[in-house]
Amino acid sequence: MVRLNRDIVVACVLLALCGIFWWSSLSIRDPGYGTLAPAAWPQAVLVVLTGLCIVWFAQVVVAAVRAGPQVGGGEGADKLDAIGFLREYRNPILCFIVYFVFLLVLPLVGALAGGIALVFVLLSILGGWAPRQLALHAAIAVLSMGAMWSLFTYGLRVILPEGILF
Amino acid sequence: MENIIAAIGEIATFQTIALMIIGAVAGLIAGAIPGFTIAMAIVLTLPFTFSMSASQGVATMIGVFVGGLSGGLMSGILIGIPGTPSSVATTFDGFPLARGGEPGYALGLGVWSSFFGGVISAILLIAVAPQLARIGLEFQPWDYFMLVFFALTITASLAGDSLIKGLIAGGIGLVIATVGEEDINGVSRFDFGSDYLSEGFAFLPVLIGLFAFSQLMSDVRDPNSARQSLTHMGNVNIRIEHRKAVTAVLRRWGNLLRSSFIGVFTGILPAAGSTISNILAYDQAKKASKTPEKFGTGYEDGIVAPEAANNATAGGSLITMMALGIPGDIITAVMLGALLIHDVVPSPSFIGESPVLAYSIFVAFFFANFLVLGLQSVALRLFVLVTKVRMYVLAAIILAYCGIGVFALNNIVNDMWTLFIFGIVGYAMRSLGFPLAPIILGVVLGPIAEKWLARALAISTDPTLFFTHPWSLFFVILSVFSMGFGLYQRDRGKKGWTLFYSPLLALGLSVPMFMMGGIIRPFIGAALICFGVYGLHRALKLKDNYPASA
Repeated sequence: MVRLNRDIVVACVLLALCGIFWWSSLSIRDPGYGTLAPAAWPQAVLVVLTGLCIVWFAQVVVAAVRAGPQVGGGEGADKLDAIGFLREYRNPILCFIVYFVFLLVLPLVGALAGGIALVFVLLSILGGWAPRQLALHAAIAVLSMGAMWSLFTYGLRVILPEGILF
Repeated sequence: MENIIAAIGEIATFQTIALMIIGAVAGLIAGAIPGFTIAMAIVLTLPFTFSMSASQGVATMIGVFVGGLSGGLMSGILIGIPGTPSSVATTFDGFPLARGGEPGYALGLGVWSSFFGGVISAILLIAVAPQLARIGLEFQPWDYFMLVFFALTITASLAGDSLIKGLIAGGIGLVIATVGEEDINGVSRFDFGSDYLSEGFAFLPVLIGLFAFSQLMSDVRDPNSARQSLTHMGNVNIRIEHRKAVTAVLRRWGNLLRSSFIGVFTGILPAAGSTISNILAYDQAKKASKTPEKFGTGYEDGIVAPEAANNATAGGSLITMMALGIPGDIITAVMLGALLIHDVVPSPSFIGESPVLAYSIFVAFFFANFLVLGLQSVALRLFVLVTKVRMYVLAAIILAYCGIGVFALNNIVNDMWTLFIFGIVGYAMRSLGFPLAPIILGVVLGPIAEKWLARALAISTDPTLFFTHPWSLFFVILSVFSMGFGLYQRDRGKKGWTLFYSPLLALGLSVPMFMMGGIIRPFIGAALICFGVYGLHRALKLKDNYPASA
């Protein structure tokens, strides 16, 4: 039996996405003028992409079979271990979560206050929460975002998002 | 000539020169920091170029590009870690020479070699690109489509170790580009009922998300290295020895010229680039040297060759982008994207249609080499300061900047969400071993390919026209061989079939050359046949030296 490895899962996800996009391409409206229908190009691309994903899927399955049931096989043969994954990718995951929250609260707090908070929290997550560090991080956040905000607002005349609160 | 004068007038303004200086310094610093790529520096420069004219925007990015290529030598020579992959070979002799007590001389050699390499390629760019672009005037929709198709097949060459992953990445890029309202009929595609998706993804947030956001996440993944300073340099007080270095470089004019030509040629080839050219030039310099044993011990020729080559590559890659409108690597893809933002679409007719802008780019590239030469000493001091900053500080600030930068594109918060989504996609793909450059090429080239295909089919639905138009056939043949180039690179020197690759390509390309008519092109076709026949004869003789499995 072939042990599920990372590459097999990714190949399956890609194939599923190809299927979803193909299904969606069937409902693309054809206005009936022009020779190239709006769905033709994406469908051609999807056929090629699906073919490539099938080839890759076959390659990783064959590699996994050859490597045997214990090892999995190939470069992506790491065991799917949720705790190990979270430990290894802690920083990027936290950064993505913080960025997500920043985007959610942006309409509320605006680019300047939200940006300062974003830089401060990112710095503290990545650099540490000791009191001295917090003071340094706060100073860096205020100065960097202040400079950036001023540059875009007054230098490049871009009106950055303003929040309901600030 | 009047175009060059008009272009000089466009570039030689206080504002443009100031922007180029800022760009060059930023490029020098970014290029010098290990882990920061030139492409990332150029991507981050893009948001600032929105409020500029097209020529100012591209001039600024060219400053970053040339600065980045030259900046890589600083860390390579002083700490033995190349700032960018384009200066890997510089460390082989630069670092030993610096450690041997001559860091100022080693830096001088690198700086002046970079300068001369850049200037030589700038001259070739100005001379060759317009000639090459004249050919573009002959192009019809079938030829354009096959040209873009050929550029898409380059993804196979960009794939690195994993050909199939590179091709899949290119396909994903093409699919991303189809989301939203299409240009030809205005029909919405793949919107899944969402207003956000029906508008499609803007190029810049996708680019910054895939490239910069995901790169920063990779840089901070390891908590320990994220908290360390960028490099360990201590207090360095070095003066670049210009006079001694320029004399030494000019005395090695043969090496300088050869390496510069290698750089330009490598740049013209799609998907090659400075990462390859610096090692290739180093290798050729060593082979041509009367004292090859000195290489690796702090020998001057070992610094001159890679530094001249990597800067010369920039001119070569600009030749391909300017004359044919196809980006050969990630950096020119970003520049092409920048021009698109300013509603300028580089194509084979670009130089003819927008000569002043095209020549402004040439002139900016020429100027940039002089600027970078003058700014090296300043950048060296700044570099020493920047090395003391910790990676996580830089990452947090740049992440915030990315968000604000993409918002500035259209003043739409949705673009920030796009940045976030493609940051996750880019990081996931990077972690899973998918190369990102093919995705970018797919995103940039997909809509262009579709547009030309639609135009070709609007004229005639006869598919044989793609094979009967000489230029189209030319690119069909190149595309076929380009798709097999990854396998060729893998098996070259190991399997017998690779001996037939170049002769068959030459024979194949001779057919459209004869179809084009005239005097010169059939003559080139005849030369290609001679080369092909000789190559086949040689391959048949040599193939027995390879294992039977080949």
